[in-house]
Amino acid sequence: MGSMYSITVEELHRRMEAGEELLLLDVRNEEEYSDWKIEGRTIRSVNIPYFDFLEEDERVYADLPKDKDIVVVCAKGGASDFVAEQLAERGHRAGSLKDGMLAWSQYYTPVVVHEDEKMKLIQINRLAKGCLSYAIVSDGKGMIIDPSKDIEVYTELAREHQFTIEHVVDSHLHADHISGGIKLAEAAGAAYYLSSQEAKGTALKFEPLERHKRIQVGDVHVEVLSIPTPGHTPGSTSFLIDNRFMLSGDTIFVGGLGRPDLGGKAKEWAEDLYHTVFVTLKDLPDDCLVLPGHYSDIREMNDQGIVGERLGTIRANNAIMRNDDKTSFTEQVAASVSMEKPPNFEDIVAINRGELQVDFDKAVELEIGPNRCAVHHHG
Amino acid sequence: MADRIVDAKGMACPMPVVKAKKAMDELQSGQILEVLATEKGSLKDIPAWAGKSGHEVLETAEENGVFRFVIKKG
Repeated sequence: MGSMYSITVEELHRRMEAGEELLLLDVRNEEEYSDWKIEGRTIRSVNIPYFDFLEEDERVYADLPKDKDIVVVCAKGGASDFVAEQLAERGHRAGSLKDGMLAWSQYYTPVVVHEDEKMKLIQINRLAKGCLSYAIVSDGKGMIIDPSKDIEVYTELAREHQFTIEHVVDSHLHADHISGGIKLAEAAGAAYYLSSQEAKGTALKFEPLERHKRIQVGDVHVEVLSIPTPGHTPGSTSFLIDNRFMLSGDTIFVGGLGRPDLGGKAKEWAEDLYHTVFVTLKDLPDDCLVLPGHYSDIREMNDQGIVGERLGTIRANNAIMRNDDKTSFTEQVAASVSMEKPPNFEDIVAINRGELQVDFDKAVELEIGPNRCAVHHHG
Repeated sequence: MADRIVDAKGMACPMPVVKAKKAMDELQSGQILEVLATEKGSLKDIPAWAGKSGHEVLETAEENGVFRFVIKKG
């Protein structure tokens, strides 16, 4: 008879990356599970709420394998300890995810997208949220784009890759997660940039993005793209490096276009999005790699663990990006708008506007849940 | 009036549901159990557990961070 063990999110992710076939037994209630869960290419996930294991009914164990590793997951790690123990007593190989989805929601993994003698481009993936931020590094200097609230992720990255953070940028005012932009800029002594249109009506201190055609990072010129590149929100900005890499924020995703509805003006913003796709981005080459601010499906990640796609492929896969008839384009985009808003988006926007302060626990609670910022994926 | 009260204030998940379940096992069908908890997860877990076990949640309330559930045994 075995005993249950505890597994950290780092270890779980390492085993997922190694392609281990794990069974994730999620013991949260059905509503929480259907809303948001851990996904991976080689893992299978099942949901049996922990209270089912309280009944003296052995049938609940019947379908669970004894020849495979089971990782039990709950919200904070308490219920998963309990269930993993029950499983271990019955001869299953069971681990309990330490601190549960709470820890998973704050787990980040950096991947080097590109490296040459001039620069290094790193994508920092917050797996639980499908949130992506970036570091552009050149000659010991760095620019961070769309950092999340857990800023030590970026200060540690700077230490590891030996650069000083000189520029911190938010591509837009985020509705789905709490920005670490200002906090990181302060901690690193860096400049903080945001589009004036996004900051309208707030008391945020920032360097207006629209005043910069390009931002120099070491030997690299980062082009601030067509200011503002509207679409998702009116002041949304994209960044371009040598026409080879486009950091698209929430304008274009691997699977399609951003959703223009979050400000309540779907039709007007759909027209802006049309302009972005058919005027601003028209001349960008097909082999330009689009690196978005979010993804919503594990299938958007390639074999190297990078979320990105050639612009040509995105154009080919999304009929809407070839529909240059303005009227039908805007109608289609406006009609595809989902009424589902990111969880707690009003509070999150207020925090990012500097109008609401919350403590760490509250921030964690507000951010928990899936990302819902894309129009649709794989449609 | 509740036939039994479970005070699970200050207890973390899964204890509020564990305690509620134990107390419920000792009640007769139709009797009333009241559960007090501060664990935020209880807000969804207690009704989900009760529903699955065939009990009926008569009342859910929150006061000063304490959740109160009134549940009728099925």
